[in-house]
Amino acid sequence: MSEVLNGLATGFGVALSPFNLMLVAFGCFAGTLIGALPGIGPINGVAILLPIAYGLGLPPESALILLAGIYYGAEFGGRISSILLNVPGDAGAVMTTLDGNPMARKGEAGRALSISAIASFIGGTVAVVLMTLFGPLLSKFAVAFSPSDYVALMVFAFASLASLVGANPVKTLVGASMGLMLATIGVDANTGVTRYTFGVPDLLAGIDFLIVVIGLFGMAELFHLVEQQATGKLKTLPIDSSFVKWADIVFGRWTLIRSSLIGFVIGVLPGTGASVASAVTYGTEKRIAGKSGTFGEGDVRGLMAPEAANNASAAGAMVPMLTLGIPGSGTTAILLGALLMFNIQPGPLLFTQHPEIAWGLIASMYIGNIALLIINLPLVGLFARMLTLPQHYLTPLIAILAFIGIYSIVGNPFDLFMIIGLGIFGWILRKLDFSLAPVILGFVLGSLFENNLRRALSISGGDWGILVQSWQSLFLYGLAVLVVIVPLILSRRRRA
Amino acid sequence: MKFVRTTVLGAVMAACAFPALAEINRPECIAPAQPGGGFDLTCRVAQQGLAPQFDRPVEVTFMPGGIGAVAFNMFNSTRTDDPNAIVAFSSGSLLNLITGKYGKWTENDARWLATAGADYGVVAVRADSPYHSLEEVMAALKADPSKVVVGAGGSVGSQDWMKAALLLKAIDGDPRRMRYVAFDGGGDAIAGLLGGSIQIYTGDAGEMVPHIDAGDLRVLAVMSDERLEAPMDVIPTAKEQGYDVSWTILRGFYMGKETSDADYQAWLDAFRTAYDTPEFAETQRSHGLMPLDVSGDELKAMVAEQSATLRSLATEIGLIQ
Amino acid sequence: MADRIFAGVMLLVTLAYGWLAFFAISAPFQYDPLGPETWPQILSIVTALCFAVILLRPDTDSMQVARPTWIRLSLTVVLLLGYAELYERLGFIIATALFGTLASRMLGATWLKGFLFGAVIGVAGYLLCAELLELNLPSGLLTF
Repeated sequence: MSEVLNGLATGFGVALSPFNLMLVAFGCFAGTLIGALPGIGPINGVAILLPIAYGLGLPPESALILLAGIYYGAEFGGRISSILLNVPGDAGAVMTTLDGNPMARKGEAGRALSISAIASFIGGTVAVVLMTLFGPLLSKFAVAFSPSDYVALMVFAFASLASLVGANPVKTLVGASMGLMLATIGVDANTGVTRYTFGVPDLLAGIDFLIVVIGLFGMAELFHLVEQQATGKLKTLPIDSSFVKWADIVFGRWTLIRSSLIGFVIGVLPGTGASVASAVTYGTEKRIAGKSGTFGEGDVRGLMAPEAANNASAAGAMVPMLTLGIPGSGTTAILLGALLMFNIQPGPLLFTQHPEIAWGLIASMYIGNIALLIINLPLVGLFARMLTLPQHYLTPLIAILAFIGIYSIVGNPFDLFMIIGLGIFGWILRKLDFSLAPVILGFVLGSLFENNLRRALSISGGDWGILVQSWQSLFLYGLAVLVVIVPLILSRRRRA
Repeated sequence: MKFVRTTVLGAVMAACAFPALAEINRPECIAPAQPGGGFDLTCRVAQQGLAPQFDRPVEVTFMPGGIGAVAFNMFNSTRTDDPNAIVAFSSGSLLNLITGKYGKWTENDARWLATAGADYGVVAVRADSPYHSLEEVMAALKADPSKVVVGAGGSVGSQDWMKAALLLKAIDGDPRRMRYVAFDGGGDAIAGLLGGSIQIYTGDAGEMVPHIDAGDLRVLAVMSDERLEAPMDVIPTAKEQGYDVSWTILRGFYMGKETSDADYQAWLDAFRTAYDTPEFAETQRSHGLMPLDVSGDELKAMVAEQSATLRSLATEIGLIQ
Repeated sequence: MADRIFAGVMLLVTLAYGWLAFFAISAPFQYDPLGPETWPQILSIVTALCFAVILLRPDTDSMQVARPTWIRLSLTVVLLLGYAELYERLGFIIATALFGTLASRMLGATWLKGFLFGAVIGVAGYLLCAELLELNLPSGLLTF
């Protein structure tokens, strides 16, 4: 324990230097803006700004603090366009649209933005505290989590998403399986053969998740708005000055705690991150709320769950990176690359060899979370005001923002055509009462499920028994059964 | 952000103040991937290592997409004679070329320029593994290849897999009969090794250093012709242990096929001058690469040789028809 | 009816997908019993069955989109395609100014206000994103 306290003291000593404090604040601010742009999330924000941090010639701990600020700033900012525009700001903010946007449309944009900021803060802070206390222990757990356990985790994720089933179950199922089909495009991760690439080099690495999200959600929303406007169904919203109430937080306290914990654990596991974390917690909370919830129509719990979870998972992904030198997510992989560029070998000895970097980073996460809350709450009114823009400006603005977000990731105009095509497809799906969330979730979970299943089977040499050999997987299968069955029993008992 | 603008502006102004070289007026290194990965590091070697050679700093740009295919295509369609740009490649890119991932292009469709450095394959096990030497691993693989779980960070046909396949070839085994697990990158594979999912990891020497220091992994052999520098110098080569396997991961740069000889030569001279300085070797080391300075025709021959080896192996086991 | 048309088209796509999974995708050798083809095969069967059900028992009659709305939607698509096509060629500022003007005009702004909107977003967006946040946006015709 004293080790942790000493470390934290070192860390705060580094992070609280005026220069580093300024970097955290700047990183958080830039991260929020980048995250708010639809498309550019943490991974691209960090990737894009990495060369700059390198070019500035900052000392390694400062550069890392800046990048980490951008990382969780972007995770924080992802909620903004989800809520205001119904366009997910990044991969982890897809679920945030489901209840965040309905709230905004009811004239509660300010309340939604502030609640989600607080949920993000709680998720991030809970995760950093857990990380400080149990980091090394958790990294052992992360490493012991084998491909067969990932399969169980994916089964649990699918089970918790059973709650998303809409009026027509067949349409939900087909939505998910279309997402799964999209995920099979590209080079197969096990055998290296190409699937469904038709000789297009841009498709070899698969369709980027963000392109699917921005296309299906963002551009489809744009077409939806054009249509609504053409039929005169759209009115410009009045200025709304709603804000979070203490009662909201008290009401959602268990949701916040559960989602922070689940999000953190999923984040710690290398290979799963914010998108899986937010999907699982949303599904779980919807299941738990049952009939008492108005999920999908602006339930605050449906907003809190994914936001607490995606920020908790962002911090969780730092655990294997710092303790083992193994990236827990795409973004932390980039942070690792940054360490290498500063001639620092990331790895198990980081804490002993470079305590100022490891602990400085952790301390900066405490500070960053507070800074983000301070930055974000006053901005709520400003962002909410965006909705008072007349519709004939707001609608083109969605396209302009989406284009910026998608183009600046890779710089490939091909991607712009992809999102237009996917947007048309998404709009048709919406018109025909298919919900889009299952498509996205199928896309996210699909390759994780397939790759880990086949990985597990190649480990076992084809023996399916490997899937039920660890307590982790049995536990997760148990949870999967519970999450499907318990609500059924509860509703039957209520009826009886 | 103000200080950012001033520094960048300052750098640009300083650069403009000098008369630029006639041909190469805006040197650029293209990393055909997202920032932060191996290609980024390769380009940083050019940026830092060639800084004294050009009036302007080499700008690093990124062209992700299709595991490098997008960049290779571009330099065979629109930027075939770009005098300013060099593109990072690795042995993995050669494998992609050979197995047809880059479409119709082959290793003859680029002007191979110079190396940034090299990395070498290693065979590693967990610290508490029963295997203490490459010989024990090979004996187990020979006895029954399906009993030993080998894993690495890439799919069948990737350079990670190639290392495992070469091990089996060295004992006349059939790479198709081994038990190979493809992870999503070296980090996940190391996690798999530490967690006990796999028994043998065929990785790269560069990523092993921190784990050797920490003592959680044991490296049984390096796949290089000679021993590497400290701290890897205690690890015997596979050849020392009696197995003829070596795997050099080339990291270097190519230019468009139609680049003029003068432009190509200018870049070549820049690299060759840099190679002779101690600073360049330091740059290589600080970017996780081992010194390997090969350029021009010598590199072309090396690429051709490696491609031929890979092609015959890939054909033999049915990766290409 | 709209349901049926959509399900019919998608069924064909799924069948093509499945045909490739069953007859085209295969690895020269593999270390897992499933290989690259099994998962797509399963998906194609499930998806095809679902679309077949929708085809037989549709629940959405029509898209309920009036003709003027169709025209406006098609215009939007054309504008977007043009925007994407000119994005690199003209550069972010000019392409965005053009798109912003035309799109907001189409949606009901006056020419002048539309143009002001497009120009302001183009310039401000470039300054904020490309200059301040150092994002990668095409400068196109205007080189700085």
